[in-house]
Amino acid sequence: METKKTKKKVRGVLNREVSRRDFIKTTALGAAGLGVSSWLTVPFTYGAEPPIKIGMFNEYTVFATEYGYWLGKVGRTAIAKLNAEGGIAGRKVELVDYDTKCKPDWGAAMFKKMVLEDKVDFIMGSIHSGIHKACFPLAMEYKVPFFSGGAMTYEFTGKDAIPYYIRCHSHAKSQAIAGWKFGFDNLGKKWTFLVADYAWGHSLAREFGSRVRAAGGKTQEIMAPPATADFIPYLQKVDPDTQVLFTAFLGSAALGVLRQTVEIGLHKRLQRYTVICCTEGIGQEVVGKESIGAYYIEYHPRHLDQVPKELHPYEIAYRKACGVDADGKEVGNPKVTIAGSHMFSMWIYPYMIKLGIEQTGWKDKRKNADLIKAICSLNLKPGPWCPLGGGLLMREEDHQGFSDFYISRVEPDLKLKVLQRIPKEKVIYEPEVDLRKAQY
Amino acid sequence: MLSQLTVAILNGIVWGLIMALIALGLNMIFGLLHIINMAHGALYMLGAVVAWYLIEYIGSFWIALIVAPLLVGFIGLVIERGLIRTIEDKPITTIICTFGIMLVIQHLVLIVFGGSPRRISPPIAYRLPIFDLQYPSIRIVIALISIAMMIGLWLFLRKTKYGLWMRAVVQDREMAVGLGIPVNKVYMWTFVLGSALAAFSGILAAPIVSVEFMMGREVLIMAFIIVIVGGMGNLEGSVLAAIMISLIQGVGALFVPPSIATVFALAFMIIVLLLRPQGLFGE
Repeated sequence: METKKTKKKVRGVLNREVSRRDFIKTTALGAAGLGVSSWLTVPFTYGAEPPIKIGMFNEYTVFATEYGYWLGKVGRTAIAKLNAEGGIAGRKVELVDYDTKCKPDWGAAMFKKMVLEDKVDFIMGSIHSGIHKACFPLAMEYKVPFFSGGAMTYEFTGKDAIPYYIRCHSHAKSQAIAGWKFGFDNLGKKWTFLVADYAWGHSLAREFGSRVRAAGGKTQEIMAPPATADFIPYLQKVDPDTQVLFTAFLGSAALGVLRQTVEIGLHKRLQRYTVICCTEGIGQEVVGKESIGAYYIEYHPRHLDQVPKELHPYEIAYRKACGVDADGKEVGNPKVTIAGSHMFSMWIYPYMIKLGIEQTGWKDKRKNADLIKAICSLNLKPGPWCPLGGGLLMREEDHQGFSDFYISRVEPDLKLKVLQRIPKEKVIYEPEVDLRKAQY
Repeated sequence: MLSQLTVAILNGIVWGLIMALIALGLNMIFGLLHIINMAHGALYMLGAVVAWYLIEYIGSFWIALIVAPLLVGFIGLVIERGLIRTIEDKPITTIICTFGIMLVIQHLVLIVFGGSPRRISPPIAYRLPIFDLQYPSIRIVIALISIAMMIGLWLFLRKTKYGLWMRAVVQDREMAVGLGIPVNKVYMWTFVLGSALAAFSGILAAPIVSVEFMMGREVLIMAFIIVIVGGMGNLEGSVLAAIMISLIQGVGALFVPPSIATVFALAFMIIVLLLRPQGLFGE
């Protein structure tokens, strides 16, 4: 019941008496206005299902930051695009993002945090094999699908494969299958592997070396610490009859080995061959003219004009969305070079998750097994969400993806010119495991 | 084999001299201030990064070699006045403090400079033929500059009033205060000189290695090993220890895998510490 005192107060504020009818009318109009404005500005209605949460972690500090920067940027852009297009099954997608600090223990702690505190549904990212290995037991324990950002250890989809791990990109074995023959036929039969003394370097030397030897070639292996600054003691040990020097280092060591090979004049009597992982996120102008003539295996061309013509509409849109120019540099910051052969994974995974959810009617983790099976059976044709040569073929047996490879050479203008495209069909190998029978 | 041995010895001496310069700054700060400067590697890196920017804008490696150490020396001055001075008598606190400074410098460089390695082109491209191999002459020039710098430092310590003050403070701080030596000023300039030396070494090393925000990490560990082997506070000891360790690594790498040669160098450190815990030339 309205008292004289409160009535006075209302009149005092509004300068007129408010009847019950006026009150209801105004409130209804206000509520309607609020509803319409919400509908106009937010694509996800109130009272809809809770958002789908994707956890992302990358190497943002300490080491391999040139990878982390781009994987993170592309992942954030992909989620924003997905939401702008209506989310997944009408649900908004939320992203939580952490730094792995390039340390397996920290990476595993972040994985756990994302699962237990942030309650994420999926996790993607990281190029560090040690971190992936540390997260495998957690992915199994919490039954969380884990999408590899760029870890290159073959065994993760080989003998060590787990049902919750999905990898859309290449690894040491597929790189060797794609690239050894070109090197053997065109560069030479006698190879020296000067590689980083840890799992990644070892597996590249093993995978390439075994194929070269099987074809009648000769190999030598030299291991150096991953953070080597001075390569002269190692380069001195290269056999005098070596025709191909295959190197595998990351970051500044990768630059060092390329440059110092030239500094001591070795480049005059051998060919240099490596995988693009070594100078991802580093412009050839940074390596310098010493890189001219070096051969690379790329998993997606750095320069737009080297991307197959049929992919251009998708590639241009993908680059525009991620702020990348035709030369493989960040728009507005030409000193920053893309990690183009790795970052596409973070573009494709959100879309793969979307397709998987739409196909299976996934609502929560209870349907994770079905979702993973659906994702790992995808055969994506090139398109806006899959700007890869040959598209992306996922394999259900080992959760490994396949797309085209490219053999490139550094030209005098310091551009990576594609010499040969290796179709994905030539790279597909027999799966070592069959996860279709695995217990989820 | 002769060519390989020649290059290995030459390269061992060159790296030894660069490492000696880095270790000298570290040892000088420890010898006088008794501070284990965990930020030394970050100052080494900062020198290279500042030089990279200077070379980008000015285009001269040689100007950067002079200007960048001055700028980093000024940063050292700010660190000493602003942070170290208030805690200089607390060794553990100074370790934590300089470790924090290291992280701050590394992450600021990461934000501003980015995570990708960059390159400083060698100002001299000539390659010296050694039998069937070649050796970049810039490395020899760098070694000569390092030697000149060490001689300059020796003359500074032996022939100038400030050098005399510094040696006096190392010998007996109380007596130095009693004799009117401005000890606080000596501390400050020692830290500035140590920082500038770290930066100078970073610029010298930059044409050989690449410039990146973590480049000081490995160097710091090796610099500590050199200081320990040479004797804490003993500058001549640092120089000899640096050359010995680099030669063991370089020449050893000819006969065993280079990683094993590094193990030899570390084993050498352990043997020295077992036989002479004060270091080869420590008292």
